[in-house]
Amino acid sequence: MPSAEDIKQRIEAAIAGARAEVEDYTGGGDHFRATVTATAFDGLSRVEQHRLVYAVFGDEVGGAIHALALRTQAPAEIHTH
Amino acid sequence: MSASQFDPIPMLQSEPDPAPAPSPEGEASPIREAIAQAISEHRVILFMKGTPEAPACGFSARTVAVLQALEVPFAAVDILPDPRIRQELSAISSWPTIPQLFVGGELIGGCDIVTEMYETGELEQALA
Repeated sequence: MPSAEDIKQRIEAAIAGARAEVEDYTGGGDHFRATVTATAFDGLSRVEQHRLVYAVFGDEVGGAIHALALRTQAPAEIHTH
Repeated sequence: MSASQFDPIPMLQSEPDPAPAPSPEGEASPIREAIAQAISEHRVILFMKGTPEAPACGFSARTVAVLQALEVPFAAVDILPDPRIRQELSAISSWPTIPQLFVGGELIGGCDIVTEMYETGELEQALA
């Protein structure tokens, strides 16, 4: 059963320039909410950004990880919203 | 909700054939073709768990609520009756989770993106 810290470390290890904040919002180790900022997201659409994060977990999303709610942004976007 | 907001796709809601086998990656299957056709034939189509009247998952429910708040007519497909629908849909969209909203044949995103775009007003523009 992954912890929020596991999820955070895996995202940050797999995606270039990623910083992740992850919350296990049910406490059950299977529903997570992640906010990810990554230089790798630069120039990508939201759909493409989310795909990069989902790809870190493969079949685990929808399997052991029932839900991974995402908010993603490239560093340059932070102050423009 | 009025009937016009729910446009069921009979082919995707029929009983599964006996002995279903997932088709190999990239190989055409009748279900995949039916999904692709539904996406091309409906400008706004939501693949969800349950129905707009009775969503079976909180994320699907929230996405339906956003579309209803914008008073957008949309087709809806319940992916739960046959696990192959979800397999084939995710193969088409490269998106692992449900719900999935398509507009004009393009994947807009799942619940998070739809909600975020609703909050920023981008969704209303995309649906206009």
